[in-house]
Amino acid sequence: MRKNLRALLGGMNAELNRMRRSRLLIAIVVVQSVTFLILVTLFGMTGAYAPTALVNYDNGPLAQQFIHSLENDHRSFALIFMNNETAAKQLVEQGVIVAMIVIPQGFSQSISEGKTVPVTVFIDNINTDMTDDIQRAMPAAVMSFGDALKFEGVNVSVAETDSYTHDTSFIDYMIASALVLDALIIAGTLSALSVAEEFESKTARLLAISPVHPLIPMMGRVVVTALVSAGALAITVIVALVSYGISPVQPLEMVLTLLFCVAIFSCLGAALGAVMKRTLPVALFVLGSALPLFLFSGSYEPQRFDGNLIWVAAHFSPEYYAVGLMENSVFNLKVTPEPLGLLALALVGWGIGALALAWFFSRRGFS
Amino acid sequence: MSIDITIAESTDIVKENMNDNVIYFQNVDCRISGKDILRGITLNVRRGEIMGLLGKNGAGKTTLLSLISGLRSHTSGEINVLGEKMPTHTAEFRRRMGFVLQDNALYEELTIFENLKFSASLYDVQNSRKRILEVLEILGLSDRRDQVVNTLSGGLKRRTAIARAFLHDPELFIIDEPTLGVDVDTRHALWAYLRLLRSKDKTVIVATNYLDEALALCDRVAVLGEGALLEVAEPRELVRRTGSCIDIECDQQTAKKIASEVLNLQQVTRTDLTLSGISLFLDKGTNPDKVLSEFAKYGSIDGFCFRAPDLSEVFKSLGNRHP
Repeated sequence: MRKNLRALLGGMNAELNRMRRSRLLIAIVVVQSVTFLILVTLFGMTGAYAPTALVNYDNGPLAQQFIHSLENDHRSFALIFMNNETAAKQLVEQGVIVAMIVIPQGFSQSISEGKTVPVTVFIDNINTDMTDDIQRAMPAAVMSFGDALKFEGVNVSVAETDSYTHDTSFIDYMIASALVLDALIIAGTLSALSVAEEFESKTARLLAISPVHPLIPMMGRVVVTALVSAGALAITVIVALVSYGISPVQPLEMVLTLLFCVAIFSCLGAALGAVMKRTLPVALFVLGSALPLFLFSGSYEPQRFDGNLIWVAAHFSPEYYAVGLMENSVFNLKVTPEPLGLLALALVGWGIGALALAWFFSRRGFS
Repeated sequence: MSIDITIAESTDIVKENMNDNVIYFQNVDCRISGKDILRGITLNVRRGEIMGLLGKNGAGKTTLLSLISGLRSHTSGEINVLGEKMPTHTAEFRRRMGFVLQDNALYEELTIFENLKFSASLYDVQNSRKRILEVLEILGLSDRRDQVVNTLSGGLKRRTAIARAFLHDPELFIIDEPTLGVDVDTRHALWAYLRLLRSKDKTVIVATNYLDEALALCDRVAVLGEGALLEVAEPRELVRRTGSCIDIECDQQTAKKIASEVLNLQQVTRTDLTLSGISLFLDKGTNPDKVLSEFAKYGSIDGFCFRAPDLSEVFKSLGNRHP
């Protein structure tokens, strides 16, 4: 027992020294996780505030009211006011802006006389997703405009009752789940590299003929990578929360969830390292699989919105449970049909399973 | 030291001296991925000797070392190492053995001291700091103890790997290519160190490609070729038994004539065309003068010398005899 403990501490000490000399690697992994945070927020940003030129040929009050509706009643447009229709069209064609809206001369007068006025919209339909957004936003703005002016035939009344007492912005929602992705990138990469390096540098063969079981010093090394990962993730969490002004509702639950994620992904990384035995491929594999796993785990919205099959498949990933717990701890949201206790239990189960996988594959790697 | 083993008569002698044997192989085969890597190996290594394993790349030297260390299991036959029947994986057995792998297998981002400290934790070395400093001193690494391994030269890495294997004071020391890629000074320093181990009654197994290393270092050598044991003997005895050699200086045409005619002679075991003529390897007991006069008629011979063959030539001869 004492000999095993000594070997475990020896492995930890060796890994700590190695990490001390790999500060650049750790820094790059942290930067990478922050980059992923920015990446997922970009997904959210592109669907809103599309740069749109507004060419207004009417100075009447109703034209101003319509512009107000376009600007404020829907989040789709970031209006750029222009006088020249041809120049605006050129900007659309060059891909600088997404669309051009033209308010024709006599707009206010025609509306006040109850006439129908055509409003020209020129859209860059290179991306149908954006085109759809604008096609949906225009009628909404027109409805809002008509409702505000109490036009006959326009009766909009929304009787809204919210599930939650507070709104959560889409980007904030994604940041909370993206922290799980960051745990995967940091902990998965560092532990996978550490274990793969053992095989790549052939030191695994020396461990295999040492008097202690080779997995004991190896476990010491993985424990240290997990600790370093937790530290690196803490930096990322602070950067994310401060940058986006998010204050977690239940910080302790958030910290525990993320620590569990670090433990799970450290074990899974170790298993991958033992299977692949090469540092470069294993690092690329962790990075390559991180985003798809993240997207399949209810990171953008409650997973059941995307269909039953994906929702069922998502249950096979620890990220599904972690995202459920994160959304709850940060925003007090409940995004899975399973109760929180069950999510926590599933995450513990994943922890035990990941440990067993790491043990099994590392052992097989040494045989 | 007398020669007590040949392939044909080895089994009985091995059994008689089993108590002195640190390593004992009897008719061992090793098959890896459907390929016979070692065939019918019968060999013993006595306590306190340096045994060389000599052979070309792929001859099976590293596999044989892996069988001794327990890294691999044999397919058939019997292996006994340090009194334990192989394969064995007991902690006590492993503590009695030190292994230097061909590729050093050091933690490149750790210092020399940190590498040894990690090894000390695996082998539960008592007073580890004192012992590490002692070993570093012996191997001339004291000044560089805090140098990170990936900044070291090949020779210093080799010394570090040897220091690590010796740290827990093993009885049996296995070293694969001790001086691979090291400079001449380091080479001599490592040889001196291995001799020091022998003087302390440690048993050393050395796999090497370098023939002068085997001559300078080993009490006996086992020559491996294509997975079979070709010969076990003292290096110098092996040279002597292989027969003598005549280097003949002549033009290329004469050399080629001699090479074709020599096929008819039983006494000549092998020929090598050289830049200056031809080398003839003669069976033991052959009178070289007689052979030389035989070839004088094929052309002008500018000069000649009789000499003992070196181990490389010995190895080639053995290879020719046992294809």
